[in-house]
Amino acid sequence: MADEGYGVGASLLRREDDRHLHGRGQFVSDIKLPGTMDVAFLRSPHAHARIRSISVPPEGRGRVFTAADLPRVKPIRVTSHSTGAKSPPWPPLATDKVRYVGEAIAACIAPSRGEAEDLANAVSVEFEVLEAVVDAARDMRGSRHTVHEHWADNLYIEHVLQGGDIDAAARAAEIVVTREFRMQRQSGAPLECRGVLAYRDHRLDEVVLYASTQTPHTVRVALAEILDLEERCIRVVAPDVGGGFGPKARLYPEEIILAALALELDHPVRWIEDRSEHLLTAAHTRDHHYKVTAYADGRGGILGVDAEIVVDAGAYGLWPQGPYHEAGMVARALPGPYTIPNYRAKHYTVATNKTPLGPYRGVGRPGACFVIERLIDEVARAVGREPNEVRVMNLARPEQMPFTTIGGMRLDGGNYAESVRLCAELLNIPAIRVRQQRGEPDGRMIGIGFATFAEQTAHGAAEFAARGASIIPGFESCTARILTDGSIVLMVGIQSHGQGLETALSQVAAEELGINPARISVRHGDTESTAFGFGTFASRSMVMSGGAVARASRMLRDKLCRIGAHLLQCDIAEVRCADGVVSGPQGSVSIGEIAKVAHLRMDGLPPGVDPLLDATATYEPAIGTGVYSYATHGAVVAVDPETGFVELIDFAVAEDCGTMVNPMLVEGQIRGGVVQGIGTALYEEIPYDETGQPLVGTLADYLMPGAAEMPAIKIGHLHTPTPHTEYGMKGMGEGGAVAPPAAIANAVRDALAAIGAEINETPISPRRVLAAIKRAREAAAKA
Amino acid sequence: MKAPVVEYIRPGSVTEAIDLLAQARGEARVIAGGQSLVAMMNLRVASPGLLIDIARLPELTAVSEEPDAVTLGACVTHAAIEDGKVADPSCGLMPRAAASLAYRAIRTRGTIGGSLALSDPAAEWPAVLTALDAEVTLCGPSGWRTLKCTEFVTGIFETKLASDEVIASVRVPKLSADARWGYLKLCRKSGEFASALAVVVTDRGRGFSRVVLGVANGAPLVLEEASRVVAEARGDEVGGAVAGDLDRAADRLFDEFQRNLHIVTAMRTVQQVLQ
Amino acid sequence: MTAVRLNINGKVIADDVPPRLSLADFLRERRNLTGTHLGCEHGVCGACTVLVDGEPARSCLMLAVACDERDVATIEGFAADRVIEALRRNFHQHHALQCGFCTPGMLVTARDLILRGKASSEREIREGLAGNICRCTGYTNIVTAIAEAAKETPHG
Repeated sequence: MADEGYGVGASLLRREDDRHLHGRGQFVSDIKLPGTMDVAFLRSPHAHARIRSISVPPEGRGRVFTAADLPRVKPIRVTSHSTGAKSPPWPPLATDKVRYVGEAIAACIAPSRGEAEDLANAVSVEFEVLEAVVDAARDMRGSRHTVHEHWADNLYIEHVLQGGDIDAAARAAEIVVTREFRMQRQSGAPLECRGVLAYRDHRLDEVVLYASTQTPHTVRVALAEILDLEERCIRVVAPDVGGGFGPKARLYPEEIILAALALELDHPVRWIEDRSEHLLTAAHTRDHHYKVTAYADGRGGILGVDAEIVVDAGAYGLWPQGPYHEAGMVARALPGPYTIPNYRAKHYTVATNKTPLGPYRGVGRPGACFVIERLIDEVARAVGREPNEVRVMNLARPEQMPFTTIGGMRLDGGNYAESVRLCAELLNIPAIRVRQQRGEPDGRMIGIGFATFAEQTAHGAAEFAARGASIIPGFESCTARILTDGSIVLMVGIQSHGQGLETALSQVAAEELGINPARISVRHGDTESTAFGFGTFASRSMVMSGGAVARASRMLRDKLCRIGAHLLQCDIAEVRCADGVVSGPQGSVSIGEIAKVAHLRMDGLPPGVDPLLDATATYEPAIGTGVYSYATHGAVVAVDPETGFVELIDFAVAEDCGTMVNPMLVEGQIRGGVVQGIGTALYEEIPYDETGQPLVGTLADYLMPGAAEMPAIKIGHLHTPTPHTEYGMKGMGEGGAVAPPAAIANAVRDALAAIGAEINETPISPRRVLAAIKRAREAAAKA
Repeated sequence: MKAPVVEYIRPGSVTEAIDLLAQARGEARVIAGGQSLVAMMNLRVASPGLLIDIARLPELTAVSEEPDAVTLGACVTHAAIEDGKVADPSCGLMPRAAASLAYRAIRTRGTIGGSLALSDPAAEWPAVLTALDAEVTLCGPSGWRTLKCTEFVTGIFETKLASDEVIASVRVPKLSADARWGYLKLCRKSGEFASALAVVVTDRGRGFSRVVLGVANGAPLVLEEASRVVAEARGDEVGGAVAGDLDRAADRLFDEFQRNLHIVTAMRTVQQVLQ
Repeated sequence: MTAVRLNINGKVIADDVPPRLSLADFLRERRNLTGTHLGCEHGVCGACTVLVDGEPARSCLMLAVACDERDVATIEGFAADRVIEALRRNFHQHHALQCGFCTPGMLVTARDLILRGKASSEREIREGLAGNICRCTGYTNIVTAIAEAAKETPHG
């Protein structure tokens, strides 16, 4: 597309790199303000308890703040418009009760974090320990104990999504496959934990928060409401953020408390989360249980799917969306991109005495994909066909597009079957089959598995309204400003935390304006200097913010052409804007010269044209239900049947995200997402015991994928631009994390086919593999 | 988390270190590489009142070689062993084990003495040194004493090291040129603590064979029957011997998964030696 | 408070510090060298990796007082270092960083791998990176970047 290799489609190297390669990044904990005091939170050691008393030692007077000491702080309240949704108030510092291990009780302030922790340890709290609700599936109803005492049960929300006639499908089915699935609770675990630095700016009459967040503008919305301040008196800045992935796209009690302390104490206060604290108190993720039946005909055509979905959502709802979307998202995504005609999904979002659940790359989709892709494989085995044949047979076809699945996903285009074929080619199935026949010298068993999915991206108003959201992230904004020398600033409402949007968005402006991206700055993450926007999550930024940048850039381009034509004394139809100049039949004038006129020599402007070169635009895709990227992932594993250890020996992705603004960045997102998906598939979990204590607390026992365990990830691309966005681009940031658990579980199933073992739970740990092998052998012995 | 308040002193000799330990009456700990101790302090599961830094004491980093043994000072680092910078009595077993321990940046500071003093059941050195029949020399107010490694480690994070003693050195008998060893550390993620660990050493020249399991819910577990089977190269009896040894170790309370993993690991390691 | 003297990036620094202060916090809070990051403080993630006396070390697990009289090199140094220069250029070329939080520790570790001759195959590089977690990139590009930098600087 671009002439000079820097517009849309160019794999432009990132401008973000320089500062990070030299250690000059500026994360929250890198920002120094004189007089800053550090905060450590005293947190609940119990999953469920009444607070009887809090005793602050003498050295803590004036430096320990409980809820009673900060009366201006209102509880966090998520509003959902979904029928039957229950929303508990969440006091940022516990008042009479604590409801999960790690819940904040008091903020302790000292000159250093170590001293603040000493102080927190010196505060004593008298608890009356209560019974904890820890089993979501069992205790959603009818339990003697409720997490929230005024509730009759432990359900945030329940709902049934259905289409067609599932009972008819059940009656007609020749093949019935019923399974239970489980995705264990885990952490998003960005490498930079959370952090807040807050202070009062008296000159601007603002409280300023530097926060490691994906959503600075909406954090401001919440703070204004909860602290009873006008938004003009709050500034939220997300500086460099060391990974977000979803858990940082929610409002946290710590952000509220730090803001309140800054107002109260009139010196900067800082809270830098450490890893153990993060594993305990930052949003937990996944934690799904499923019981699902697939009904099929004798050829593997899926007639219907009947599902029960339980999401263990923890003790409170994370603002703004609460826990209400996760189970519903699973329900909508579970039929996959398949032409399944009948469906029922009963879903339950359950309150437990655990850390609140939040979104994490893919949100409901990894679980949904895990379920349907495992079922596809089992249906295939039941009818004696290759899983990929059954997969392709059931996939929506190009001629059916746009195709609305029975789950309600409106797939806008693409050739899903082709992605299956391409992925299989990347992994060379025939060679794997030969290898399987030969056997491995070390006795390990090789297997290959696949998973296909559609990723809803850049969904807007229609989708969020359907979810009952009270905050609808249905657009993005951009203010594009050309300064007097012709250099350009783009001010956007998203927040780049590794995605390279400072580079990619400059490419969009470069595409529209014909200016080298090197002359374009991108400002993001700061409520002060950007128009309102929702932040970066839900695979929305390139499409939404890119669209806004494109529109604002075109507005500027039009004005440049108007002024340029006037300066060139020709008709506007005769000029074009490219390569940094506006050129007409008799000459050209640079953007810099036009900018000077627009600011410093406005006497040179054409009549009717105002000074300045400033344009603000918003953007939403033409369709509110999202544009759908899709992919097939394939995994090759070697399973040691004696130890249960699984090695991933190859992995491939065949994907389609429409037009790629920067293919290099797209591939980076895919690979990063895939490795997170592998983490979910094989390594990461936070189990709880029956008293509600989490059993994992450090990276020594929370295993994160490292380079030594990962294969090089192969990527193939298909290109189906969508008609609904600028340039035909689609979001794709989350997709990489969606399919690995399914592909790997299917590969393990294939590897152990001779034994008949299946693992339908993540992470696929050695213990679970050996238990599955044992079960399969015992079942075979009985048969 | 941040470490709790602590005092710090760097004595100029082992004698001075021991005096300081004695004076502190249990409130002090020696620190060498600190790779375990500082991690524990950062998690606030250890709060010594005083740290006595012995990492740089020349007596503790010295390495000496005799015709039949190598003595490593307690503060020799894992990296020094990995890199072959110190004499190797084990025909490559010790460098192999060192290379599998945690990560390079840990190995450049962590020490063999530190590892022994902590005796994490999942650690490499206690199992390897037990397999090599090494001796540990301790130094305290009443002088020096030497114990076999098998005596020294008594349980999970438990050793015979008194609170006023310091590990001075480890003496490892040299393997004969034709000795064979096997080493297998099973873990899901490179560098993490072992899920299972087996070390086998067989040295005909010295009439010594030993099969040792780490991650054994206690001190490294010497599999006596398996050791005899290895000594006599009775390869097809290994499985039974290992199973029998594990039966006799019922007090270790292995669950089925652990027991199974131990058997597999032991057998594969013995295979390395008997092939 | 205990007196310490360290050589940091070629400059001798004298200070008085509480013994419990980690080298990482000393660098970040007292010397304003914030390029070294803290991701776990238990020695696993590698974000805090610096050089102490020329060898990689976890600055989160070293006490500043224990580094008395030692040479410390952080990401802010390496001014004329050929290997770091080659690594930086290749990390940039091959998109080997996203959020940047792991990058300083990753570069210090990669430099050490190259200098010790442990970067001659993909397998070797991956094993050598076991102690540096990246949550963003999926490692493929980091491995490529290091392999390329190693080819350019065969003898460090």
